[in-house]
Amino acid sequence: MSVQNILECNGLRKAFGDLVAVGGVGFHISEGETYGLLGPNGAGKTTTISMIAGLLERDRGEVFVDGMPMTTRSVRAKKAIGYVPQELAVYPDLTARENLRFFARLYGMQATDVKRRAEEVLEIIGLGDRAGSRVKEYSGGMKRRLNIGIGLLHRPRLLILDEPTVGVDPQSRNAILESVEELAGAGMAVLYTTHYMEEAERLCDRVGIIDLGQLMAEGTRRELVSLVGERDRVALAASGNLEAAARAMASLESVHEACPGGESIHLLVDQARNLLPRILEEAAKAGASVNGVEVTEPNLEAVFLHLTGKALRD
Amino acid sequence: MKSLTIAGNNLRRTFRQPSNIFFVFIFPMLLILLLGVSFGGEFKPRVGVYADDPGPMGEELVSSLAGSGNLEITRIQEPESVRSSVERGTLQGGVLLPDGYSGILRSGGQARVEYLLRPDQLGQQVRTSVESTFSRQAVILRAARFSSGETGISFDEARTQAAAVALALPEIEVEVRTAGETLYPEDRGRFGQGASSQLLLFVFLTSLTGSVALIETRRLGLSRRMLSTPTPARTLVSGEMLGRLGVALIQGTFIMAGSWLVFGVSWGNPAGAAALLVLFSLTAAGAGMLLGSVFSTEQQAIAVGLLLGLGLAALGGSMVPLEAFSDTMRKVAHITPHAWALDGFTALVRRGEGVDAIITELAVLGAYAAVLLSLATWRLRRAITG
Repeated sequence: MSVQNILECNGLRKAFGDLVAVGGVGFHISEGETYGLLGPNGAGKTTTISMIAGLLERDRGEVFVDGMPMTTRSVRAKKAIGYVPQELAVYPDLTARENLRFFARLYGMQATDVKRRAEEVLEIIGLGDRAGSRVKEYSGGMKRRLNIGIGLLHRPRLLILDEPTVGVDPQSRNAILESVEELAGAGMAVLYTTHYMEEAERLCDRVGIIDLGQLMAEGTRRELVSLVGERDRVALAASGNLEAAARAMASLESVHEACPGGESIHLLVDQARNLLPRILEEAAKAGASVNGVEVTEPNLEAVFLHLTGKALRD
Repeated sequence: MKSLTIAGNNLRRTFRQPSNIFFVFIFPMLLILLLGVSFGGEFKPRVGVYADDPGPMGEELVSSLAGSGNLEITRIQEPESVRSSVERGTLQGGVLLPDGYSGILRSGGQARVEYLLRPDQLGQQVRTSVESTFSRQAVILRAARFSSGETGISFDEARTQAAAVALALPEIEVEVRTAGETLYPEDRGRFGQGASSQLLLFVFLTSLTGSVALIETRRLGLSRRMLSTPTPARTLVSGEMLGRLGVALIQGTFIMAGSWLVFGVSWGNPAGAAALLVLFSLTAAGAGMLLGSVFSTEQQAIAVGLLLGLGLAALGGSMVPLEAFSDTMRKVAHITPHAWALDGFTALVRRGEGVDAIITELAVLGAYAAVLLSLATWRLRRAITG
């Protein structure tokens, strides 16, 4: 395995009776990278990360975390991961501070560090002023933040987040996404599972699309989109000589199609954002006046539909 | 150390809930108090007496009944009240003296006394006390009547002389020995019997209903989360076990110490009592853990826990003393750990024996604990590791 990879897993397989929940999944995550596992409910995301986190025996395959093999009995490898489950795995009858201190001890932190680090994490997750209240008195968003905070206690090399925004209000959801961006920015490797396409697009450097226990494709958003031949669509609201303008645009490299309409020109292009200045330049040269621009980039939803033949939320 | 962390967390969660404080500490002590007051060694049967214008001989009779030391005498104004109270069981017996009791006797007539009793064993015991008091007075009255007739002195004077002669006569000493053990022996104090049976009932019941916390831990995904930390499954399981054992030991020690300090209950040989408590607590902790690992909802665990906790306590002699059971039922009772533990406490407290006398009971409780803890450990490990 390559040294810079914080996580490397190959050929992961898990069957429950006759049902193959995960069949041969493999990917890697580098330091500071956020990797998203995108798939609908029941796709095999949680089973995959359960094997990666050493919570579930696998039938086949291997997992290395920070160079250490991971099994359900691993102790050293588990020190390198912070696991944030989908459910709110916090003690409702304890305070946030007590929850954090309890798990800090389970992560093997020294007694002197436990209190200090718990206070630090309370500040990170914005619960410092409610640290002494029992968790059952918290809002759903506050519980979610605490759920994530527990995974950060021991400064893990790899943070595993299993659908952390399920059932969260938009404001808390945004706060969680911002936190994940900050953690990744600080150099932490993040494995993020979700069935929300927007979250995967916003957060993840690379995305693995998983369905029926199979990793259908993986790569950057751009790579995935190009993999299935999807291109950016640009709609120009324009007036003047639209025919000439469309011909000029069609001659540009990366423009695959340019169709003039009544008061608009529709283009099919690669990398619309990069190409837009040249498109506008050609329109001006051809005597067309552009009044408005709308760029529609192909998204992962479209990729998922292309790969699986069904919508992401089916 | 992590086992202790998990155990400490369990204890904190248990004792943080006010309802648990009540059921673990306060309620058992209240029941010990209640049982001691109701059935303890100082219980005296209550006898109601109706006596309208009884005169000196009637008052003397009532004083004798009260002075017997075995009965609690209550004067009641209406004969019907005495009858209905005995019927309802609020009085264990009733005595209805005829109006003008002394006058009837003094005139040489026959006084008809009505005695009411409950149709149970206690009623028969009360009857014996009442009859002996009446017999003593009847003997004096017959002697006085004879003396008055023979010598011509007044009946009252003859009665005074007869009473004086009766006092001067040497009493016949009857030594009474009982065979076997009573249900509520006085040497245990009025709270003794209730304390040991309530100790066992509540330690076991609390452990079974405490399985709810274990189910909640699993249901909320906390067990899985703990497993994701560098904590081996065996540490997690032993931590859960130690937590439950801790609750049982704290509750048991509290009941023992509290009943000793507040009610003066004797627990016999300290080493023997401690050994019984530890092994019974281990058994209870194992049963609670098994329940918490087998069921998946709190409602199931509560329902089955209450049923088992109260059912085994009743069968095992924690509600009705084992001595009240038939021989067959007493044998059946010994499928429960309660019966073995109660046998152990009986040997320590009533017979004043030491640890060596309860080796069998300790061994059986140890076997219960080993089997239940092994099963619970295996089942819980499977439940949390999937």
